[in-house]
Amino acid sequence: MSGEITRAPSRELQEGPQGDAPAGGAFTARQLSRLDEALTLSSRETGLTFSVYVGEFKAPARAHAEALFERLDDGSVLVAVSPAQRLLHIVTGPESAKRLPNRACALAALAMRASFANGDLVGGIVTGLRMLADAAGTH
Amino acid sequence: MTVVQTVLVFVGIPAGIIAVIALAVYGKAIVRQPNRYRPGKTWDYPGAWYVPHPEAVVARPSTGSTTTAVGGASGEW
Repeated sequence: MSGEITRAPSRELQEGPQGDAPAGGAFTARQLSRLDEALTLSSRETGLTFSVYVGEFKAPARAHAEALFERLDDGSVLVAVSPAQRLLHIVTGPESAKRLPNRACALAALAMRASFANGDLVGGIVTGLRMLADAAGTH
Repeated sequence: MTVVQTVLVFVGIPAGIIAVIALAVYGKAIVRQPNRYRPGKTWDYPGAWYVPHPEAVVARPSTGSTTTAVGGASGEW
């Protein structure tokens, strides 16, 4: 694992901090590598495509998270976190919802909220990804 | 003991001990500001979207350009 974060290939997604060069970025290189490891492992284990969005939601937040999700595919899971608004959304698609019932997502969201409330942003995201991957099981 | 000695012993030594303990506790954070989020702190970084490595992702036959959200969960803290 190289510790590099692969960026989504969409125009809007390329804004923001670049990979593991955190100059002025939201996360340190160490945090980015934890995030990368969690994303890659959970995606590889489950066969679902997990992705994490960290940024502001336009109101209404849920609609914005779902609009972001619509650019992914059916087997994707989007974990969207807005530290400024203190909001998080987990969005599943037609394929991923079969593996991840809303109950499992709510449980992961609860664990993430606990970490976020303690100021552990990356820890919360990593915990959430692990819980979602565990709930989805292997493919 | 002169006044100066008294002050040194009863103020200087406790102040020194407090300074050493404070440095041990907060020193690291002062020297190297950790990039850390705290609830209520502003977050003015541009939005970023992180995806897994392409080789970790199971390729799916693309069913079209978009998908729709089916379920999920939300929360606030």
